[in-house]
Amino acid sequence: MSREKLRQLGIDLPVFPTTSVGSFPKPDYLVKARADFSRQKISRNDLEARERQATEFWIRKQEELGVDVLVDGEMYRGDMVAYFAEHLAGFEEGGLVRSYGNRYYHKPIITGEVRWQGPITRDWWKYAQSLTTKPVKGMLTGPYTVMDWSFNELYPSRREACLALAHEIRREVEALIEAGAKIVQIDEPAVSVRVEELPLAIEAMQVVTAGLPAYFITHVCYGAFEAIYPDMLRFPVDNFDLEMCNSGLDLLELFRKHAFTKDISFGVVDVHSHVVESESLIEQRLRQALEVLPRDIIWVDPDCGLKTRSVEEAIGKMKALGDVVKKLRN
Amino acid sequence: MELILTNHSSYPRIGDTPEYQLLRRTIAQWEKGGKTEANRGAAEDRLTELALTEQIEAGLDLVTDGQIRWYDPISHLAGKLSGVRVNGLLRLFDTNFYFRQPVVRGPIGWSEPLLVSDFLFAKARSFRPVKAVLTGPYTLARLSIPENGQTGGLELLLEGYTAALAQEVGALADAGATIIQVDEPSLLKHPQDFVLFARSVAALAARKGQARLALSVYFGDVAPLYERLQSLPADILGFDFIYSPQLVELIAAQGSNKTLALGLVDGRNTRLEDPRVVAGQLEKITRKLEPHPVYLSPSCGLEYLPRDRAQLKLRHLTTIKNTFAGSRQ
Repeated sequence: MSREKLRQLGIDLPVFPTTSVGSFPKPDYLVKARADFSRQKISRNDLEARERQATEFWIRKQEELGVDVLVDGEMYRGDMVAYFAEHLAGFEEGGLVRSYGNRYYHKPIITGEVRWQGPITRDWWKYAQSLTTKPVKGMLTGPYTVMDWSFNELYPSRREACLALAHEIRREVEALIEAGAKIVQIDEPAVSVRVEELPLAIEAMQVVTAGLPAYFITHVCYGAFEAIYPDMLRFPVDNFDLEMCNSGLDLLELFRKHAFTKDISFGVVDVHSHVVESESLIEQRLRQALEVLPRDIIWVDPDCGLKTRSVEEAIGKMKALGDVVKKLRN
Repeated sequence: MELILTNHSSYPRIGDTPEYQLLRRTIAQWEKGGKTEANRGAAEDRLTELALTEQIEAGLDLVTDGQIRWYDPISHLAGKLSGVRVNGLLRLFDTNFYFRQPVVRGPIGWSEPLLVSDFLFAKARSFRPVKAVLTGPYTLARLSIPENGQTGGLELLLEGYTAALAQEVGALADAGATIIQVDEPSLLKHPQDFVLFARSVAALAARKGQARLALSVYFGDVAPLYERLQSLPADILGFDFIYSPQLVELIAAQGSNKTLALGLVDGRNTRLEDPRVVAGQLEKITRKLEPHPVYLSPSCGLEYLPRDRAQLKLRHLTTIKNTFAGSRQ
């Protein structure tokens, strides 16, 4: 693990640090508040009060569960790309498109030059961090994914759109670090699908992170890892947060062939299943991980954001993985 | 020269107004036990009708049922075959859309038609001809995994899916489908499998009866396989020009033995193409094709676009057709 870097940043973590990928389910009162707000039945202040209440709920819950590196749960976000598109100049909100099954999201449209207009997530991070003494991750979506998951009506090429976004997202990272964030996660779930664009995604991440004093994590999921591994290790981050158990831990075979050289946030619970995994299953997954990966580099978390689960399921999954980690530490 | 406007395959099953949210709401309530299968079926029927109406209003000559009932292009078919179960989510190629991966646990079997009732429903509600569309056996095989390390690999999976879907092609033809489109995007990722692939297409073609078999490949560069695709026993070849930057020039130089379906309109981006540019591409392509009719369509299914933009894309086909006609006068 990049313990030395973390220590330099003032963070000392136990073996198998536990964390989550970012999103948690919104409690019913927040779901209702968001619906009421969209129907103009309540004010933005009323909605924000509920978002703060839900953020506090999840911070308290993570503390109660013994999570080591916390997230704010993204109570103020709808979708991981649309949220940033709403706050950057140059985007229009697109209509709904399907993500999977009966899940849909508003896919943004780039219609003008993208521009950072001021801190987007900083105040939420500050609020979440004020509620706990444990480190809270700054959470952003990376430039490649924002580009790939938006329609582009302006830039002549994907490359130009991606690099323009990278320069603007860097400003958000700078704002988070200036506010005190030591661990910043920049999610790039889209990078695992177009092998030929991996160098572009790496170049964009370099623009975002170069020379900045933070421990960087990136989350990648649901793609053709066999096509981008081990090249993806060139990403200028300290930790890869990977969906592992959804694909039956088959990435471990890749890691056997070519050593994993970063820290890894190892997904041990499936975020698309209502079933809370048994502790024995989670333990088995971690023991399989230990057959291939050094103990010191492994963080433990769910495969992906838990926002599509119920509050009870999300808590159940986080508790189960935390209980297994406690057992393995002893 | 006849230019036939058609949808590629899927159409959005949601929109931003309550009328278009019917299916989403019904499924959400059905999952919680608040709605019945019949309620869900009725919502699917309604959204299918809306998809048909919008395609016809856009001026299309050939429509689809929009694949409104499909969970995704892979598990919707594979999951209904015996010997197959569906598993976790995987990203569909380079989209931000996810499908459930089929796991093949035994011999793949087809016991009843999968798409015939959907086809007949659409046909009864459209005064334009309806194209039946199914995902092809090669793509299903490529995106499936055998359970517990069964041996045989791709070839065995392909054989099983081909036998099953050949029966489906036969059933669709018997039900009156005049054009049956088989979507095979995976081929472009694995051109080395062409011989296996060709055998599968031949098995489907043998069951098509009086129908015309259309083969559609997309989400990849068609150019390296263009000549070999001409040798397949398909009546129509459909191509994605967005991923194939050299294809216009290639067809302009080589022509085609087959009727072509030209995916010149980007089904993955909201930007509307300059109709003069597309008309120019059509001009080049069709020089060597006459007197074959030509289909003009989006490059892929339109489910990747918001509903309002999908409508615009389809209407844009008419604008392009008119521009093309104007340029030839």
